[in-house]
This record gives sequence, structure tokens and C-alpha cells, in this order.
Amino acid sequence: MSDFTAVLDTLIRQRGVRGSLVVSAGDGIPVDSNLQFGQDGNRVAALAASLYRKARRSAQAAGLGGTGFMQLEAETGRLCIIGGDEIVLVVVAERSANVGLIRVEMLRAAEALA
Amino acid sequence: MADEVRLWSDELARDPSSLVFLPLAEALRRQGQLDLARKVAVRGLERHPHNPDAHDQLARIQADRGDLQSAFDEWDMVLRLVPGHVGAIKGMAFVRFQQGRLEEAERLLMQAQGQGDSDIHAAMDMVRRSSGVTYAQVVAGELATDPHLLFADILADDQTAIMLDKDGLVLAGAYYSADGKDVAQDVGASLSGVSDEALRATKHLGIGSWRSILFETEAAIVSLAPAPADGGAAGGLIVVATAPDTPLGQLRPLLDRCVSRAHAWLDLAP
Repeated sequence: MSDFTAVLDTLIRQRGVRGSLVVSAGDGIPVDSNLQFGQDGNRVAALAASLYRKARRSAQAAGLGGTGFMQLEAETGRLCIIGGDEIVLVVVAERSANVGLIRVEMLRAAEALA
Repeated sequence: MADEVRLWSDELARDPSSLVFLPLAEALRRQGQLDLARKVAVRGLERHPHNPDAHDQLARIQADRGDLQSAFDEWDMVLRLVPGHVGAIKGMAFVRFQQGRLEEAERLLMQAQGQGDSDIHAAMDMVRRSSGVTYAQVVAGELATDPHLLFADILADDQTAIMLDKDGLVLAGAYYSADGKDVAQDVGASLSGVSDEALRATKHLGIGSWRSILFETEAAIVSLAPAPADGGAAGGLIVVATAPDTPLGQLRPLLDRCVSRAHAWLDLAP
């Protein structure tokens, strides 16, 4: 049980959430995860961290300041990401999941982890 | 139908306050007896001035007669009686499009879509068939001479948008920072490859094609969508930035409008 287990458990309890991960922001390596789907968490972590890095870089390029919540929406699912300089919190959810609630929980979790 | 028209006419003669004037006026309209249909509808309205169906019926008749402004006024009345009435909004959009008031037409159609009308594309098609050209194509054609202005008329003052190719190079639009500097090339370069990464992520997760990416920053909310897969934009992005207090639910329609505009512009590109 890591320092992040409670946060990940809170997120996974949200309706439609299939997985939650804490990822190292710099290299995309998973620090802890709670996955309820049969995918490779390492790859999800790497892809999510990379997407978030690109978002942060483009925000900096445009002078938009720090980056907060990020969401990738696909045909049947969503990838939600929030993070800071060191760690990134990732949630994999179904399309039907309440993204508003997930966003609020992730913002809370990010504050708790900061 | 002739029998029904006779029956309804008889019933209306017996009881002038009967609501049977509604199907009667519609039947006459369909038969092309527009003046008679109009008389029946107007008389019905005299007895039922607050009946939205009666105003809607008269609006359809006036539209068929070519009296577009009267039709618009009747649909406007329907909206006053039943706020959010999708049929009335679509009718008003049709009138505005016919009158060449394209901005208003599109705004009304978006409003109808906002009311949950999933059939809005059919309404768009109807408007397109009647005019022979899409609104997006009209505006995209006008703006084609200056790609920087491609999205200008569909964005508010605090919004900005660009279209990038797969390498992050700017195809159209402008991206202004808070100090008024166009940072489109910088943003494009930093977002280069996002489309590929989104594709990889969604493929790995088995969640279908990606539709949009949104991220919140201190100064703006940035939304991304795949660029239309034609005209050299395949694998590229549409990027829209809005004020940070923009309701998140409003971003998808705005993004869709920018994608439609980009699509029309690419279709027209030489």
C-alpha cells in the first residue's frame, strides 16, 4: 500500500471509471495504479504522461500559464489527466462516465497530493 | 384526402372554434391551395391566438407562399409561447438562410442542436438543398483569400483558433496570446505529434477513435479535434482556445463549428 492508494481507490469508485494511475510526470513510469481492465498500465501511463507534457508545453508556448485538468474523449471512452511538475494522475473511464464528477475528484486528489 | 378536407370543412362550419382547422389548413397547404390554407389558419388563430400549433401552421403556409418575413414572425410567436420549440427555431433558421442572413441561420441551427435535436444535420441539408451551397462554404470561400481569418467570424473576442497539419505547421487561423502576439507557430510546434499520440492511446485502450482533447490552463481552455482528413490536413489538428471561465459544455459545439469551417475551406482549396 503506497501513499497514493487511498486517492486511487477514491477515483476508481466513481461510476464508469476503469482505472486510475499515479505516474511520474517526467518519464511516464507508473508509481501506483488501480486498474480494472486488462491493459498494460505501463503503456497507458507513458502515453498519458506524454500527452500531458505536450499540453503543458503548448500552454507555455502560448503564454497560458500552468495546465490543470485534461481530457481526451474517444468514441467509447475517456482519458482524464491532471498533474504537476513531478506526478500526473490519470483516470481511464467509459464514455458514459460523469466527467464532471471525475474532474472534481481529480482536482481534489491533485490538491491532496501536492 | 378530398373526403377528409370536406369532413373537416363541414365540422369547422358547424363549430368555428374547433381545432380541426389545423389539419384542414395543413391538407390545403399540401394540396398547394395556399391562399385558402392561409385563410383557414388565420381564422383559426383569431379564435386560438395562443395556440403554438396554429402559429406554426400559419408560418409553414407563409413560407410556402414566399412571405418569409411573415413566416419568421409566426415562428417567433411560437417561440414566445413555447420557449425552445425546435421546429420554430429550425423554421426561423430556414428563413434567415433564404434571406441571406447566414450568421443568424447558423446560430439558430446551433440553438436547435442545443435543444437536443439530433436531426439537426437533416435541417442543415434542407437548407443546403434550398440554396445549393453550404453556409460554411460561402464564408470559407469569402475568407479563402486570407487563411488567417478562416475562423474569425465564428469566434468571440476572447477566442482564437488555428488548423495545423500533421507536422504542426499552421494551415489557417491565428492564435493570439494575451499580449496580442500571434503565437500560432509556437503552439503548432509544441502540439506536433499530439494526434498520433492520441491515436496510439485510444488504440491501446480500445476506446475507438479520439474525438477531442481539452485542457484547462490558468489563462484559457484549449480544445483540440482531429483536422478533416482531406486537403493535406490529415493527421492535423483544429485548436481552439477560449476564456478560462467558458462553460465546458459550450466547447464541443464551438469546436464542431471550427471543424466544419475547416472542412469547407479545404474542400474549396485549389
